[in-house]
Amino acid sequence: MAVKLMQGNEAIAKGAVAAGCRFYAGYPITPSTEVAEVLSRELPKVGGKFIQMEDEIASMAAIIGARVGGLKSMTATSGPGFSLMQENIGYAAMTEVPCVIVNVQRLGPSTGQPTAASQGDVMQARWGTHGDHPIIVLSPISVRHSFDLTIKAFDFSEKYRTPVILLTDEIIGHMREPVELPDFKTVKIFEHSVTEKPADYKAYRNGPGDVPPMAAFGTGYRYHITGLFHDEVGFPTQRLDEIDPWLERVNTKLTNHMDEIALYEEDYEDGAKVALLSYGCSARTARHAMKLARAQGQKVDLLSLFTIWPFPEKQVEALGDKVDRIVVPEMNRGQLALEVERIVGRKKVRRVGLANGEMVTPQMVLEKMGG
Amino acid sequence: MPNVVQQTQPAAPPPATAKKGPRGAVTIHATWCKGCRICVEFCPPKVLAMDESENYPHVAFPEKCTACHFCDTHCPDLAIVVRKLE
Amino acid sequence: MSQHILDAAALNQDEALIPKSGWFEQSETLQKLRKNKKFPTIWCPGCGIGVVMGALIRAIDHLGLKNDDVALVAGIGCTARMPVYMDFNTLHTTHGRALAFATGLKIARPDMKVIAIMGDGDALAIGGNHFIHAARRNLGITALVVNNSIYGMTGGQYSPTTPLGKRATTAPYGNVEPPFPVCDLAIAAGATYVARSTVYHALELDKFLAEAIAKDGFSLVEAVSYCHTTYGRLNKLGTAADMMRALKDNSISRTAFDAMSPEQKADNTKIVRGKFVDIDRPQYTAIYANLITRVQGGEK
Repeated sequence: MAVKLMQGNEAIAKGAVAAGCRFYAGYPITPSTEVAEVLSRELPKVGGKFIQMEDEIASMAAIIGARVGGLKSMTATSGPGFSLMQENIGYAAMTEVPCVIVNVQRLGPSTGQPTAASQGDVMQARWGTHGDHPIIVLSPISVRHSFDLTIKAFDFSEKYRTPVILLTDEIIGHMREPVELPDFKTVKIFEHSVTEKPADYKAYRNGPGDVPPMAAFGTGYRYHITGLFHDEVGFPTQRLDEIDPWLERVNTKLTNHMDEIALYEEDYEDGAKVALLSYGCSARTARHAMKLARAQGQKVDLLSLFTIWPFPEKQVEALGDKVDRIVVPEMNRGQLALEVERIVGRKKVRRVGLANGEMVTPQMVLEKMGG
Repeated sequence: MPNVVQQTQPAAPPPATAKKGPRGAVTIHATWCKGCRICVEFCPPKVLAMDESENYPHVAFPEKCTACHFCDTHCPDLAIVVRKLE
Repeated sequence: MSQHILDAAALNQDEALIPKSGWFEQSETLQKLRKNKKFPTIWCPGCGIGVVMGALIRAIDHLGLKNDDVALVAGIGCTARMPVYMDFNTLHTTHGRALAFATGLKIARPDMKVIAIMGDGDALAIGGNHFIHAARRNLGITALVVNNSIYGMTGGQYSPTTPLGKRATTAPYGNVEPPFPVCDLAIAAGATYVARSTVYHALELDKFLAEAIAKDGFSLVEAVSYCHTTYGRLNKLGTAADMMRALKDNSISRTAFDAMSPEQKADNTKIVRGKFVDIDRPQYTAIYANLITRVQGGEK
């Protein structure tokens, strides 16, 4: 395809189509509405279906229903809508139904500043719904990366039968960059294939492997899906001998595979004693600060996290062993910094957090690098 | 161990001159029945009655059954089956 | 001890599974139940929800639908525990959201018969917004609302259909809220088939459910039932059998209602049973399929 000046939100929509998404249900909300608008135009072209639901709760429900019906599905929203979606995100985690939820973060809390950027939903993306549950959260740092990470989100959601949150922000979502998209036919997504006979099908069997294959409704595999704790065929149960194996499988099915799930970029120098660690739009700030510092002859490492949940502990721990200080710029008052501190200890971490809609500047980062 | 399925075989067909025999055979699946009494209280010809424990229905007068299907369509637990007799 | 009084301890867990011989085969209704699901059901002895389940199975059987082509979507509550007992594609979702989940499923599989099974609270309180929008869109979904005027699962709180003045655990001094007329709400929102009957008139439910499921667009069947465990006890309405008899005595057919004078109609307090709407309107997934054809045909 030719180079095109493309908006982040549009790249997400295109990424979804490339990934085989054929159902979108959403509700208008700044700054994510463009995702819906593009998909309302693009999906019918590929035989896909778009619907604007009555609210975000319904949108989240509809994409789960559609995936149970066999269509890869997605929704996009921002803070207020993301809050409304939480119960059904938890339902998707409990029932292990693949789906992708885009959260184009805006300044909160509450109505906040709808057109201002933020990264204030980091903890909500992990713990927004009640109860211990697995979830994957990815954060893009550019328009092209938004396209690529949307495809990754679908791949992971299918392969691990889990909701995946694409946690982007108003800056990445609304900015435009020249982008050359690959041919969609080259895109490979994990596809479920059920081999058992219908009578033997166990939609939630605890092994072999962490993730049982999922059959869609209406394909000869009639089974039960419920948000209640369930046994291997999906029937409600309160028996611990049926619940405990499920809990163990579902709460480790992601952490067992961090080698694949943890996406990041390391730009390290031998002998650097200070590092920058960031994600999303703030990772661009960190990269710029790194360039300025290196231009002045100062050694500095940069770790850009694309997967933020499950938190890439291995990579952060290794970085912590390598340097004396880690500066964490982010557009909130220190949410991911908490995770970095958990791994490398509070003394090594310098928070550079702004939650007023303004981007963290490279100069602010440089000042904190001094130690 | 009592027979789980309390099955009522209709009485031997009465001699031709006697009153017409039952037109339905009632089967109660005791394991599913919760003793809610709906079948007993609504059975038009009073075929069903609570047994001596007053906890479970049983077919007291099988020959009176007219196969009207009230009991098996109103049993909340689908624990009764009435088979029409030709 | 009477022949079929079973000593609970002697009852082997697997006994609750459907026995292979005799009893089960005699009824076509029971063939639609899930062979690997343990019975009896979760509902209180005498609860009308089981009667509605029987009617639903008979209706689906009557239409000759293949089990694979039917999906039951339920929210949360006593009524919502119905799908698991039946051998269809069954989805037990979150409270109030059955119709929203069903919307996604129907759009993904327009060829399937999708039936949303909800209680009155599930469908009309927390689910009210999705109820009116699913009807407005005329999605090919049948909404089966079992209306017992109470939240039974949580122990007897009043719901949007609890009559004014009646008692509930959260209306100890009498309910201060007038109830929704479920059928009128669905009609106003655009449903193309609306009918109401009661669990006493089970065979009438069979008929209305079969007609509703056969409909192309959004259809509603309101099955008026009772909850003797909470609502009945709090309002001194007697046993399950008493409350079922009350449905017989306190309901009239639509033809009888239509024959009334305006004054009689205004004073009527009885439940009116019958079909209120049976019209045709373009169905959502058909309209969208046409849109796809137009777009893929090059329409800008």
